[in-house]
Amino acid sequence: MTPDISSAPARERAATAGADRIRQWFARYKILALLLAVALIWLFFTVLTHGAFATPRNLSNLLRQMAISGMLACGMVFVIIAGEIDLSVGSLLGLLGGVAAILDANHRWPIEATIPMVLALGVLAGLFNGWLSTYRRVPSFIVGLGGMLAYRGVLLGITGGSTIAPVSDRIVFLGQGYLPRLAGDALALLLFAVLAFVTARQRSNRRRYDLPVPPLWQDGMKIVGAGVILVAFVAILNSYGGIPVPVLLVLVLLGIFTWVATQTVFGRRIYSVGSNLEATRLSGVDTNRVKLAIFALMGLMCAFAGIVNTARLAAGSPSAGTMGELDAIAACFIGGTSMRGGSGTVYGALIGALVMASLDNGMSMLDVDAYWQMIAKGAILVLAVWIDVVSRTNRR
Amino acid sequence: MAQAEPLLSLKGIVKTFSGVKALDGIDLSVSPGECVGLCGENGAGKSTLMKIVSGVYPHGTWDGEIRWDGAPLKASSVRDTERAGIVIIHQELMLVPELSVAENIFLGNEITLPGGRMNYAAMHQRADELLRGLGIEGINVAQPVMNFGGGHQQLIEIAKALNKQARLLILDEPSSSLTATETRILLDIVRDLKRRGVACIYISHKLDEVQAVCDTVTVIRDGRHVETAPLAAMPPARIVALMVGREITHLFPREPHEIGEVVLQARNVTCFDVTNPRRKRVDDISFEVRRGEILGVAGLVGSGRTELMQAIFGAYPGTSRATVVMEGKTIRVRAPGDAIRAGIGMAPEDRKAHGIVPDLGVGQNITLAVLQRFVKRGSIDAAAELDTIHKAMKQLSVRAAHPLLPIAHLSGGNQQKAVLTRVLLTEPKVLILDEPTRGVDVGAKFEIYKLIFGLAKQGMAIVVVSSELPEVLGLADRVLVIGEGELRGDFVNDGLTQEAILKAAIEPAHRAAAAHPNETASV
Repeated sequence: MTPDISSAPARERAATAGADRIRQWFARYKILALLLAVALIWLFFTVLTHGAFATPRNLSNLLRQMAISGMLACGMVFVIIAGEIDLSVGSLLGLLGGVAAILDANHRWPIEATIPMVLALGVLAGLFNGWLSTYRRVPSFIVGLGGMLAYRGVLLGITGGSTIAPVSDRIVFLGQGYLPRLAGDALALLLFAVLAFVTARQRSNRRRYDLPVPPLWQDGMKIVGAGVILVAFVAILNSYGGIPVPVLLVLVLLGIFTWVATQTVFGRRIYSVGSNLEATRLSGVDTNRVKLAIFALMGLMCAFAGIVNTARLAAGSPSAGTMGELDAIAACFIGGTSMRGGSGTVYGALIGALVMASLDNGMSMLDVDAYWQMIAKGAILVLAVWIDVVSRTNRR
Repeated sequence: MAQAEPLLSLKGIVKTFSGVKALDGIDLSVSPGECVGLCGENGAGKSTLMKIVSGVYPHGTWDGEIRWDGAPLKASSVRDTERAGIVIIHQELMLVPELSVAENIFLGNEITLPGGRMNYAAMHQRADELLRGLGIEGINVAQPVMNFGGGHQQLIEIAKALNKQARLLILDEPSSSLTATETRILLDIVRDLKRRGVACIYISHKLDEVQAVCDTVTVIRDGRHVETAPLAAMPPARIVALMVGREITHLFPREPHEIGEVVLQARNVTCFDVTNPRRKRVDDISFEVRRGEILGVAGLVGSGRTELMQAIFGAYPGTSRATVVMEGKTIRVRAPGDAIRAGIGMAPEDRKAHGIVPDLGVGQNITLAVLQRFVKRGSIDAAAELDTIHKAMKQLSVRAAHPLLPIAHLSGGNQQKAVLTRVLLTEPKVLILDEPTRGVDVGAKFEIYKLIFGLAKQGMAIVVVSSELPEVLGLADRVLVIGEGELRGDFVNDGLTQEAILKAAIEPAHRAAAAHPNETASV
C-alpha cells in the first residue's frame, strides 16, 4: 500500500496505524518500556540535583530503600496474580520487625533463634489471613483492612508506643552490611552465566518443539544488555562499599520467585487460579490450598522485610512499614500485573518497586514538600496503569 | 371473545446475527383478551422474537413489520414499548431483592413529591391495590422483596407490569421457579387478566399450562413459523410433533462398539437450590453407565441435567447428596479432584466460565489437570510437558499457531477440543460431556462426534448431556430424560423419536406413564 499524503483519510489511517504500532510496542516490550521509564526518572533527578542523585553513595542507598518494598512486592505479586489483595502487609511488616527487635534487644535472643521465630510468626500470620479469606470466605480486601488495623495495634501494644533499641550488631549487618567486593564480582559473573545458560536452553527447547524462536540478535541484545547492566550495577556498588546485604537478599528472592512462577506446578496454579478459578477447580486442583500457600508466602515476605527494616534502622519502630502495603501494591501494578488477576511477573513488580523508590529518593533529595511527593507518586501510579490498560485493549 | 382487529400483529419478522438467520419470516398476532401460547424447542427463536417485540432489539435491526393498535410500531428501546403498553416478564426474575415490594413495583416510575422525594404513602397504597386486585392478600408492601418466595416474587413482577398499564403481557417461562400451587395461582391470574381485556403471550415448555390458559397456539421451529391454530386443534401430541418435525441428518459417524459391564453407578442424587435450599433442583435420581456405552441425557434447559452431573463430579455449588459407585466401590466425592482420581472426567457446560483458563496458553490449558506428572526435581520438566502437549494436540487436531498462544485467541471449536484434551489426559474411565458442541461449528462438531465414538470403542463409558435432541439420538445407545429435576424416562435408543423424548421431558411421569405405558419405562 502506498501512503497517499494528499488525502485526509489516509493521513488519519496512518496516524492510527502509528498509534497502534506504539501500543503494540508497549505491549510487547513492556519491561523495556519500564526500564526506559526508570532511566528517564534517574536522568531527570540527576540533572536537577546537579549529579548528586547519581553518586554511588546515593544509588546504594536508593537500592537499599527499594529492597524492603521489593520484598513485599515479591509476595504481593503472587497475591494479586491469584486475584486477591492483602492490605495488612505494611502493619505486619512493622509488627514482625518489632517482635524481632524485642526478642533481640530486650530478651537478648541469639540471631539464630530470633530469625526463625520471626519467620515462623510471619508464616502463621499469613496462614491466618489466608484461612479467613479462603476457607471462611471473608473477602481478602476486608481481611487485609482488618489486619492493617489489628497488627498495628498489637505492635503499639507490645512496644508501648516507643522505639526498641539498640539491636545487636549481627542483626544490623542484615540491613546495613555490605558484601566483600570479590563476592560482588563473583555474584555478577554467576548471574551472567545463569542468564546466558537459561536463554540458550530456552532457545534450543523452543526450536525442538517448533515454538516461535525469537531472532538471535534479540536474545543476543538481551544478554549483552543484561551484562552491561550487571557490570554497571556491581561497579557502582563496589565503588561505595560493596553490594548491600538487603539488595543481595532481594536479588536472591527475585531468582527464587521467578523460578517458582515459571518453573513449578505451584507457580502455574497461581496463574490459573487467578485467570479462572472455577475452571482450575474443575480440573481437580485444590484452589483453597493454593491460595492459602500464597498468603503464607506473603506472611513470610513480611517477616523478611520486617527483619531487614529493623536492621536498617537498627531499631524497632512502632511506625515501621506504615503505608508499606500501598507501595508494594503500586509496585505490582506499575510492573504490569493485571488487576483481574491471571498475569504479571516478579521482575516487573521489582522494577515497579524501583520506580517508586526512585521517586521517593529523588524528591527527598530535591527537598520537595511531602505533600508534593504524595501527589507525584499517586499521579505516576495512575499514569502507569492507564498506559498499561491502553496498551492492553487492542490485544483482546 | 373479542374478534376485532388484533392488538399486536407481526408480519414476516427476519432477524440475522452475523449472517446467520435466527428468525426467518415469523408471523404472530394477538387480540385483546386473547392468550397466545408460543411453543418451540430450545434455540427455536422464541426469546429472540420476544426481544424484538419488547424493543430490546430496536426497530431497524430486523426486517418485517410490527403493527400495534392499528399503527406501525417503531420502537427504539424498551422504554418505547413499555409506554405503548407492552410489558415482558422474563424467565429470571428482574426484581431488586433488597428493595421493598412497593419500591420494586414503582422502580423507574416512582411517584414523587416536590423536590424528588419519594411519595411512599401513595406508592404503598397503589401497590396494595394492585396486589389485592390480583387476589393476593397478606403481602406487606413495605417489606423487602427477598423476604418473599419465588411464587410471590413472580406475582410482584406481574403487579409491576400491570402498574405500567400493560395491554400486552409477555410471560417467558413464568412457572420455571414456581411450585404447583403457585403455578395454579399464576394461571388463575392470567385468566383474570384475559377477562379484563389484557392480551397475553405465554411462552412455556409445559404444555399442560399452555392447555390451561391459551386460546391459540403458535409453534416455531428453527426460526420459522410452523403453524398457528386454535387450542382445540392443537392437542399436546401435535404440538410436540410440530416442535420437533425435522429430519436427523447424517452427521453422526456411528461406529459399532461393544457395551460391557457397569462402570459407574450414581444412586439417589439430590441437589438443593443454592438460593432457595428448600427447592430441589434434582430429586432422587439414580442411573448407571457401562463400559463402552454412550449414555445420552436429554431434558429442557433448567431441568436439572447439569446439576445432576455436577453433583456426581463434586462440583455442585450448593448442597447435594449422592452415592457414587465406581466399579463396585463406593467413592467419596467432595471435590472434583476426588472424582478425577477415581476415574471420572467432565467437560463442563459453560466453556468460558468453567472450561478455559483464558490467560494461559493452549498447551498449559491442556496440562492443567495432570501437571504433577511432569515434575522433576521440584520444577516442571518443560520438554516432557511440551512433548505431551504436542502429541495430544495432534491426536485431537487442536489447531493453534503454537502451544503458547493464549487459549482466548482460539475459535470455540478449538477451545472445546483443548478442554476435552485436558480431560482425556487424566485417563478417565467415565467421561461426562455437558453440551460438548455448544457454540461449535459444524466441522468441529463432526470431529467431536468422531472422537466420542472412537473413545466408546476403546471401552470408555461416556455420558453426553445435550439440549439438541438430534445430537442425543445420533450419539446415544441409551437415553435418560430429565424433567423438572426428576428422571422421566430411560429409553434404549432403538427407534426412539424426538417426540417421545420431548413428551417424556414435558409431561410429569405418572401422566406420561398412564398415557403411553409402553414408551415410558419408569425407573
